Amino acid sequence: MAQASAPNPPRIPVAPSKLAWSLMKKPLSDSRVALLTSAALRLANQQPFAPKEDLSYRLVPSDPTAGEIVIDHHSGIGRVPRQDPEIVFPRTALAGLAREGAIASVAAAHLSFMGGLRRHKEIESDLAPDLARELQTAAVDLALLVPY
Amino acid sequence: MRKVIPPRAVFVDHPVGRTFGPPHDLQRNLAVLRKVLAELPLFTGPGEIRDLGCQWESDGSRAWEDELRAEMLRDR
Repeated sequence: MAQASAPNPPRIPVAPSKLAWSLMKKPLSDSRVALLTSAALRLANQQPFAPKEDLSYRLVPSDPTAGEIVIDHHSGIGRVPRQDPEIVFPRTALAGLAREGAIASVAAAHLSFMGGLRRHKEIESDLAPDLARELQTAAVDLALLVPY
Repeated sequence: MRKVIPPRAVFVDHPVGRTFGPPHDLQRNLAVLRKVLAELPLFTGPGEIRDLGCQWESDGSRAWEDELRAEMLRDR
């Protein structure tokens, strides 16, 4: 119990074990785009994220009319983004760019997970590959991660 | 951001948690998103961080930094 109530050590950024890089194979106007957010946000009717060290993720519908967005991330910066989650999760703007043809399409769902986790090994071995598989299945060409 | 070596990273000089602008400003959301997407084809390798040249205030004022600090202390 004493450990559970002790303050967390400061976060230390950790470099990935291998570099990620791939060439853009299509112009933007032919590309399907998805958002990734580390704000631990979700639709109000989706399962809430656990307060800390939750390695799960949510598929958040990209349709801006799909429902109210809730931000579960515990960060102290949350008051303003909760007024308008679009400032960290611009799904309406992205849908607008698809309508005007700047991008080909938006993936049916964007991906949301908890930022600031300390379980770096499991992020690399479990969470990141799961997210990559979701993007591959959805035939996403470009994934934009908006850090929170 | 340098430490985690993202494949393509852009810097948006906005208050933390307001990457795409102030609340309820779709035009600002769109403007930032357009800049992000336009930058992507310009990257040549991992680890590069490109500054989008975004300013929070149109006159370049950085008064928001003090306001943000106070806000974060208040909301702790």
